[in-house]
Amino acid sequence: MRKIKDLVLKYTSKTRLAHVILVFRYHRKYKNIFKTFVFGVKSLFLFYAPSGRLSKGEQAKKLLSKVKINISDSDRFIYNIDVFKTMHRNGRMIDNISIDYSRVLNESLLDMKKRISKLKKSSYLDDELLTVDAIYTYLDREILAIRHSNRSDKEKIIKYLENIKNGYPKSFEEAIQRILFFNQLLWQSGHGLMGLGELDRILEKYYLNDIKSKKITRESAKNMICDMLHILHKLYWWKSNVLLGDTGQIIVLGGMTHDKKYFCNDLTYLFIEAVKEVQLPDPKVLLKVSKDVPRDLMKLSLDSIKTGIGCPLFSNDEVIIPKLIEFGYDEKDVYDYVTSACWEPLIASKSIDQNNIDSIVFIHPLTRMLETEDLSKINNFKKFMGKYNEYLEEYLINFTNEINQIIWEKSPVLSLFTDGCDKKSVDIGDGGAIYNNYGLTGVSLGNTVNSIYNIKKIVFDDKKYTLEEFNDFRKNNFVGYDDLKSELKNQPVRFGCDDDEIITLTNEITSYADKIISKISNRLGGKFKFGFSAPTYIIKSGNEAASFDGRCDGEAFGVHISSDKSSLAYTELIQFASKLDYSGHRFNGNVIDFMIVPSFIENNFDKMVDFLMLSIGLGFFQMQMNVVSSDTLIKAKANPKDYEGLIVRVWGFSAYFNELPLAYKDLLIERALKNEGKS
Amino acid sequence: MKVRVSNIQRFCLHDGPGIRTVVFLKGCNLRCPWCANPENIDYDFTEYYDEKTNEKRIIGYDIEALDLYDEIIKDKDYFRLNDGGITFSGGEPLLQIKKLEPLLKKLKDNDINIAIETNLQVSTELVEIALKYVSEFIIDIKVLDKKNNHDILLGDIDLYFKNVSLVSNKKPVVFRIPLSNEYTLTLENQNLIIDFLKNNPCEMVQIFKIHNLASSKYRAIGKEIMEFSHVDDEKVLNFYEKIKNIGVNVQIIKF
Repeated sequence: MRKIKDLVLKYTSKTRLAHVILVFRYHRKYKNIFKTFVFGVKSLFLFYAPSGRLSKGEQAKKLLSKVKINISDSDRFIYNIDVFKTMHRNGRMIDNISIDYSRVLNESLLDMKKRISKLKKSSYLDDELLTVDAIYTYLDREILAIRHSNRSDKEKIIKYLENIKNGYPKSFEEAIQRILFFNQLLWQSGHGLMGLGELDRILEKYYLNDIKSKKITRESAKNMICDMLHILHKLYWWKSNVLLGDTGQIIVLGGMTHDKKYFCNDLTYLFIEAVKEVQLPDPKVLLKVSKDVPRDLMKLSLDSIKTGIGCPLFSNDEVIIPKLIEFGYDEKDVYDYVTSACWEPLIASKSIDQNNIDSIVFIHPLTRMLETEDLSKINNFKKFMGKYNEYLEEYLINFTNEINQIIWEKSPVLSLFTDGCDKKSVDIGDGGAIYNNYGLTGVSLGNTVNSIYNIKKIVFDDKKYTLEEFNDFRKNNFVGYDDLKSELKNQPVRFGCDDDEIITLTNEITSYADKIISKISNRLGGKFKFGFSAPTYIIKSGNEAASFDGRCDGEAFGVHISSDKSSLAYTELIQFASKLDYSGHRFNGNVIDFMIVPSFIENNFDKMVDFLMLSIGLGFFQMQMNVVSSDTLIKAKANPKDYEGLIVRVWGFSAYFNELPLAYKDLLIERALKNEGKS
Repeated sequence: MKVRVSNIQRFCLHDGPGIRTVVFLKGCNLRCPWCANPENIDYDFTEYYDEKTNEKRIIGYDIEALDLYDEIIKDKDYFRLNDGGITFSGGEPLLQIKKLEPLLKKLKDNDINIAIETNLQVSTELVEIALKYVSEFIIDIKVLDKKNNHDILLGDIDLYFKNVSLVSNKKPVVFRIPLSNEYTLTLENQNLIIDFLKNNPCEMVQIFKIHNLASSKYRAIGKEIMEFSHVDDEKVLNFYEKIKNIGVNVQIIKF
């Protein structure tokens, strides 16, 4: 009876969804109905989540004692995830963050246990203690499996894992193995989009010690990093969130230090060399840059980008650090910021910061206003903007209200690595972390700016049409008005142009949104923050009606901070982005997205490095490059088999072009053609 | 005094040192059959039919030279490394140099590097004005035989030789050679170029295949483009070696 009740509970909770998603993800990768069917049937028997009636600690014990452990004989590192087992969930799982892995290197399980034991009695304490016990059990099970394996290095690996219990890593390899163990634990516990943090800083001492004692060479260290990347990539079909490749496995390198100098070390270079060498879409690298970034590091980065893998993405500390301090993050923490799966800054192991909860669709309140208001009464631009702001305010309030309904599933595992939880004896899911902010991404800002600019020019300045007449064209999806649509689409002055009026208008819109957002708290007592780039430029555009930038019903929105203007100079886009206001709450990822033809970088390599170095000083926020030619993309779409390894940048991640849905392929082709001046 | 401009292009990487903004001026004295900017040949405004947007527009606008200043230095932060700056191109920019002079002066006063892309087959008086302001001359080497230069390009080779020696004694010079089998790469012309390079010092010679990117522009302005035969990489490399062998710094440019 109890078992039946558990089954019912499982299949009426969000756990059921996790099961469905598992089968969906399998099908997304293999696209074979028969194989999916077999997998689906198999999963009915193998899928397991502990009962929701158990405490979280008890659940962890159940889960980690049931996880199937497969030990590979050939991989250097042990990394084991049983995709059929997960935690029970009623609320929403915390995802999209990184922990600070230096903690698990500097703290053994015994240390953790001692730390927790000092806490006063509470259900939080019970859960934490049970979770640590569960990790012990998990380790023992893994050690046993290794002992029974055919690995020739089993004694060494067993020692590494034993050390997790009450010792500390003694080598570079052991440190990586330990990071991988805890990373696998987080994925196994149901947390998706798990970043890897500042691995060049974290691993530095182990690397230097081993180099000094000649235990490793630079080359052998690189091989270990390559092996680490390969093993993290292995289950990417399962780890990928919305689209294949979207795993959130981000490695953050380099960056400004407290004394405003630039930090990088040999590992910063090695990680970039390794991602360039393995040529996988994931894990990915974000390089924090400042004016003092060494030129040879930028050269290496461009060399990596040139291969088309889309990384590193550049994150400009000159701009970002002051914004983080201004927002309220402690100055002691900000220099070690990492990011959520795409690019949204957060402080590892001190925050729940759920930075990619949803996207603000800036065009939505504009469309609603045009469809609701008596437009004959809006007879000047000032009034028009006043009305838009009213609708934007209403939209943001409703939107954040909805978000505030989200209940986060407790996570004793994450709480174990997060500052604040012990002190408050509160789980991270209930607001235990030091920072409890929510991040929203932003989409269609460019479409909104261009729409409003066009309305101002055509309706209020030139008085070509009344607002009502103008709106009728839009409501009819511009059918029969191709010339007007083309005029709207091809305005020489638009989002992305280094034009004072456009920049002022963009800043006006985001300033108003900032004003509203700054007044709203989330249910954990933290603040909301937002940015101007989002993964949702196709996902959210489907239901949005035509807009005055010449966009038709359902057509995709603009991508991040980019321009759809044919052959717009890269310097112009950087100048534009550098003049945008990122202050207040507006720093939740603001990425310039370039399309570049591979031969362009090849033929102008040194000048492109100049361009990158100078752009940092100008003040862009973040930047990524999609290095691909329209010609290649068109051929790859027609003959996928000939282009199996072709990698493209999608939003904050890279993916195999062949594995993308058609809409994304077509949008990339369209953008590449525009960039090359061919459309 | 108003100058006639066709376009201002930012982030140009092939038209002088560093990162540059190029000002394209209308009007040219030569008629090179391979011209990559046919819309700039006539000084008169040119009607242009844009195939992409399906729209007609007019190429060229008149503007006080000094009024161009703010627009063309928008990327001045990018000029800082490796002598980036402004390049005047065309058409033949020296034809409008008198009208450009106040702008050139202002740029020079503000330490903005100025380069000019010129065929140099213009009156020496105009070249002397440019010498006062321009830091680097990018000079075409095309057809060096006197008769061919006159008959094919409508140029004056004696004037060219005179101007080249005047400029190369005073300023850094980069020579540019567009490569076509039919005109510039004939054996006779190759030999003339080698002799010419032996006698005229330069910082560098840049050679590049004439490219077909301009074909849509020819269609857009209703002109016929001449068909050129394909230039083999091997031929380019042979010519490159020939130049290198006389001790001249040479580079193959790919666009």
